[in-house]
Amino acid sequence: MSGFASYLVFFLIVASIYGVMVLGLNLQWGYTGLFNAGVVGFYAIGAYGTAILAGPEREALVGGFGLPYPLALLGGMAATGVAALVVGLATLRLRAEYLAIATFGTAIGVQLVAVNFERLTGGVNGLIGLTRPGFAWFGTPGAYNLFFLGVMAVLVAAVFLALEAAVRSPWGRLLKAVREDETAARSLGKNIARLRLQAFVLGSIPIGLAGGLYVGFIGYVSPLDFLPILTFQVWAMLIVGGSGNNAGALLGAVGVWALWTMSGLAISRLVPVAWQSQAGAIQVLLIGLLIVVVLLVRPQGLLGERATVSREAE
Amino acid sequence: MTRSLCLALIAGSVLAGSAGLASAQTGCTHNIGAVLSITGSMAAIGSAIGDAAALAVEHMNAAGGAAGCQINFILRDDQGAPNVGIDAAKTLVEIERVPVLLGAIQSGVSMPILTSVAVPAKVTQISCCSSAPAFTALAREGGTQGYWFRTLPTSLPQGVVMATLGREKGYGRTAIIHVNSDYGVSMARAFKEAFEALGGTVTAVVPYNQEQASYRAEVNAALQGEPDSLFLVAFPADGATALREWIAFGGPTRLLLSNALRADEFVRSVGAEYLADAAGIDNAQIAGPSVDALNAAWAARFGAAPNGPGLHTMYDAAAVALLAMEKAGAADGTAIRDAIREITGGAGTEVFPGPEGFARAKELIAAGQPVRYVGATGPIAFDANGDVTGPLLIWGVAADGSLTVGDYWSNERVAEAVAAVNPG
Repeated sequence: MSGFASYLVFFLIVASIYGVMVLGLNLQWGYTGLFNAGVVGFYAIGAYGTAILAGPEREALVGGFGLPYPLALLGGMAATGVAALVVGLATLRLRAEYLAIATFGTAIGVQLVAVNFERLTGGVNGLIGLTRPGFAWFGTPGAYNLFFLGVMAVLVAAVFLALEAAVRSPWGRLLKAVREDETAARSLGKNIARLRLQAFVLGSIPIGLAGGLYVGFIGYVSPLDFLPILTFQVWAMLIVGGSGNNAGALLGAVGVWALWTMSGLAISRLVPVAWQSQAGAIQVLLIGLLIVVVLLVRPQGLLGERATVSREAE
Repeated sequence: MTRSLCLALIAGSVLAGSAGLASAQTGCTHNIGAVLSITGSMAAIGSAIGDAAALAVEHMNAAGGAAGCQINFILRDDQGAPNVGIDAAKTLVEIERVPVLLGAIQSGVSMPILTSVAVPAKVTQISCCSSAPAFTALAREGGTQGYWFRTLPTSLPQGVVMATLGREKGYGRTAIIHVNSDYGVSMARAFKEAFEALGGTVTAVVPYNQEQASYRAEVNAALQGEPDSLFLVAFPADGATALREWIAFGGPTRLLLSNALRADEFVRSVGAEYLADAAGIDNAQIAGPSVDALNAAWAARFGAAPNGPGLHTMYDAAAVALLAMEKAGAADGTAIRDAIREITGGAGTEVFPGPEGFARAKELIAAGQPVRYVGATGPIAFDANGDVTGPLLIWGVAADGSLTVGDYWSNERVAEAVAAVNPG
């Protein structure tokens, strides 16, 4: 496999992990209008949950259960779901910006726990020596990455199809009703609080799944992986791709991540060696500029939400 | 976005093609790559560290390159984020075909690069700046496969030497107060393990958070268990606050102090009369022709002295990589990993930084003679885990409040002390 192709496989694995995360956020924001500004917190819970369950036994740590990776991944998702339930029960009565502040605070709290609860998370040192699932079956990193990309494709498809089915169901229509006019939905006798909680928890579970997949692919986890910037990146992916459209969410994940990383590659090729230490700033400028341009040209995102009208409306 | 993605892909492949063409015209080149924080939380120090690596590459090229080719240095930004850092590292390895990765700065970026990019691709990774003890632990359990090196001394030897010193002074029951950070936690742990291995008792290990107005609660906790001495791992301002409260509460003035406390500010705010029995530790300032060689070259190139964290260690990281590539005779990660052991430590002819030093090294290597790189941070010797040890010194405080330098601990003496307690 040529260098560029094998890099592309690596890139797509990471982008599809973010894709799963963006799909989760899309259910919360794109369909239900829940402003979750703590995406990275749920991502971290999924990641640490998986790492603690799958990690090797260590004297200094309470975790390290050495479970098979798929089981650990399910455990991480379950932990994220429980966390989302608790956070949701506590905060979902809050509206828009208040919910954003509350969830943002939750994410910071999760990161602080990761830094300080050393017996569980390894503290600032992180958790090392996590096995990359199935790496032993493949001789080379190239072959392994192809395998992992295949697994990712299946998982992304599964999450995508499940969410599509959900949002096309009567339940999904109700989510949109809540997003558009909560009072009207309530006046129809719908239990809005329960619905918001369902959407919040169901949307958080793919985010936790993405965390577990990231840990499996990288083989290491530390608090530095969960800086607030990641929440911003995931939001940028959703807004650029088109919120309220699952295909747009995936496209946004690939597109924004490509912009974020490949701009660095392009700049490192174009800029002379002597200027390389300034090139990083150009890259960051470029990322911001292109995101702004996309939003100016297509405010609804690359793939906007499809208009849904009743079959009888004609 | 699909269109711009396609454009990016096309642009990428065109660029890849043109780079190939360029190298064909100018003779061969080998790439080496660095992943550093040019932007993000470490931006203040990142670009100067990049310059240090670029300078080492310039020097090697002036000496005729390595492994038969000129060296092309590629610096990538990690934005202070692991996800960006691993992507940059992956492009360097797969597209630019680098056999060596230099970096990263933060341990939380270096570690995922190591586990997900460098080790699977059998590429040697050398960091200037990542100090976390987790790397030593990973190396010990075989997770690095020997591809990991760092030119920055870890805090473990300092903790061990302080424990040894405390036992030599006859301290039997020591309390530890330490700053709650990666640095403080690992230093305290190393001290405790060594102190107990040498037959002493650590009565309390109390972490403190930085920049508080008072540390009365921490000091109180540390005074439980009747310690006869205190090991304080802190930075000057907080350290002075904590120590004044310690003395006010009647804590013993038999003190062991960490390297960051070697500051006039600290002595002034505590009072020299309370520090007569204090002994501190620090990295010994290495002097000598190899250090002067880099300082002079830096001044000539950038018009200023190389003051700043990571510059000397980064120059050495790059120099070790390039000399090892020359020794290996090929731009191959595994060959370079093995050659690093041959050009550091050992009993070969000493070679120094700078174009002349590298040219001398190339001559000796070509003649089949053993060489030993003595770098900008002094003689470099990696242990089995890829860590370096540097010489240490013990400092004290004179009656007039000036800082004095006491005992000198050479590399060999430090290594003996570490071996004696066998921590870990």
